[in-house]
Amino acid sequence: MHRRTNEDRIFDFINILVLSLIAIVTTYPFYYMVVISFNNGLDSTLGGIYFWPRSFTLDNYTEFLNDPKWMQSFFVSIARTIVGAFITIWFTCLAAYGLAYKNLKFQKLYYSFFIIGMYTAGGLIPYYVVLRGLGLLNTFWVYVIPGAINIFFLIVAVSFFKEIPAEMEESAKMDGASDLKIYYKLILPVSKPLLAAMGLFVGVGQWNSWLDSAYFVNNNSLRTLTYRMMEIINQGMSPLDAESAERAAAVTGVTTFSMQITAMVIAVLPILCVYPFLQKYFVKGIMLGSVKG
Amino acid sequence: MWSDIKRQKYAHMFVLTGMLIVFIFQYLPMFGILMAFKQYSITSGIKGIFTSQWVGLKYFVEFFNAYNFEQMVKNTIGISLLKLVFTFPVPILLAIMLNEVRSRFFKRFVQTVSYFPHFISWIVVSGLLVIFFSTNSGIVNDALLSLGIIDEPIALLSDPDYFWGLAVGSAMWKEAGWWTIIFLAAISGLDPSQYEAAEIDGAGRMKRIWHITLPGIRGTIVVVLILAVGSLLGGGLVGSNFEQSYLLGNVMNNEKSEILQTYAFKMGLAQGRYAFATAIDLLQSLIAIVLVFGSNYISKKTTKSGLF
Repeated sequence: MHRRTNEDRIFDFINILVLSLIAIVTTYPFYYMVVISFNNGLDSTLGGIYFWPRSFTLDNYTEFLNDPKWMQSFFVSIARTIVGAFITIWFTCLAAYGLAYKNLKFQKLYYSFFIIGMYTAGGLIPYYVVLRGLGLLNTFWVYVIPGAINIFFLIVAVSFFKEIPAEMEESAKMDGASDLKIYYKLILPVSKPLLAAMGLFVGVGQWNSWLDSAYFVNNNSLRTLTYRMMEIINQGMSPLDAESAERAAAVTGVTTFSMQITAMVIAVLPILCVYPFLQKYFVKGIMLGSVKG
Repeated sequence: MWSDIKRQKYAHMFVLTGMLIVFIFQYLPMFGILMAFKQYSITSGIKGIFTSQWVGLKYFVEFFNAYNFEQMVKNTIGISLLKLVFTFPVPILLAIMLNEVRSRFFKRFVQTVSYFPHFISWIVVSGLLVIFFSTNSGIVNDALLSLGIIDEPIALLSDPDYFWGLAVGSAMWKEAGWWTIIFLAAISGLDPSQYEAAEIDGAGRMKRIWHITLPGIRGTIVVVLILAVGSLLGGGLVGSNFEQSYLLGNVMNNEKSEILQTYAFKMGLAQGRYAFATAIDLLQSLIAIVLVFGSNYISKKTTKSGLF
């Protein structure tokens, strides 16, 4: 039945060639970054390294681990990722469970409040003024509280909860279970795919975020890993910093540049680790969202 | 009625908690728009948004008269339109190409790899650009030099002439794979018997793509196009104009990299001109709203499908 014509052969050849090129262009930068992170920093500046380290060293990593500034920002990033994902999932799912409640009074009204909320924004400055008024500036909480309700996932969660068969809840109610008990013992356990998708998106968002660290925080101990990298990319160093970095580089071979690349590897690593496991969930997640939203 | 509410008290409590949070962080800043028309001082706090003096359109006029106003508007619109033109068709093409791959393993591999950059921060992407395009032993310049294509390194990151291309290219690299998910899903929902029938009728690969795949996903294409146009000024489907311009913009390429958002940021949080920056933000939001409703209206008129 499937007789391969010449057109088929040419088509397949070009198709696979182009897709392979795309795959290479996408993966190689990440690979290269890892190679440089394992190479002596001073040596890297000479160039000409493409596929494996020329002067292999772990110094960049030990330097990273020994630098209190980098490590602190690393832990801030981890903390906001975990706490932020937890808070968002907690509040968003609770509100969604309430919204999905059968025959809830004012349901339509509540729902439109959230939908309109999704499309309203006052811009950066008014937002800043509100955060300032609440005393959230320069605190860890500015990273995790403003996003406590993720309206996009709220809508996804409501439709998810509504599809859970009503008989399950009814039989639990007959046994005398309260709403809270039903939520924690019944609804949440069967919603794992939803929670996983939410956890991934919110977690990645938290991990990558730097704007809030740049805008709303000027306490150095609260800076995130991404913010520290931004400093290097965007602002350059003060002459004093540059001088001491140069002196250090002469001894250890670790340059600001090689440190930055090492930080980049460390910033990508956690995502790379969870990515394969959660892939099936995020495809489902974006599909759900694109249908409903 | 009250007995209903009492019976549902937990549900109401949960929803109202959520609404309170949304009110504070989404609705409350909306009132801040008033600042654009007022003599606002940060020391007056949230209350000051309502109590400070009106100044009318003063800040808008000032903004229109800014020395680089024209260039900024050009950059904002130019980068956005270029992104739309170049990045909108790419996910569709990519989805069609992936759909034509017979090897499931290869297809999955390319998919997995092409989604990945979506999850990486613009910070890391900018870092990668700096590494690859640097004039000092950056791999791209190295390669071009050794191939004899150029005689001396090109300053891709600091020459203003390259900024728009850099912005569009890196956005495409980061997000194109991600948007293929939606088109691939739309394609996989098409009826396979159509393809079989077309094959029996002697339609080749290109013909089948042209007459079955593309018309089959037209609805999805329209919806995604409206989304893209609606978010045009922010960077469309392929993410943040602001982050790119902020991270990759520098003193050298400023004339081509300064956009309304970065300017508003510099005026606002960096220089403390809160009311002025709010006015710039507001203008931008108005354009965005016009774009969403406009594109939706046109799409409904011409294709009978739209977002709302």
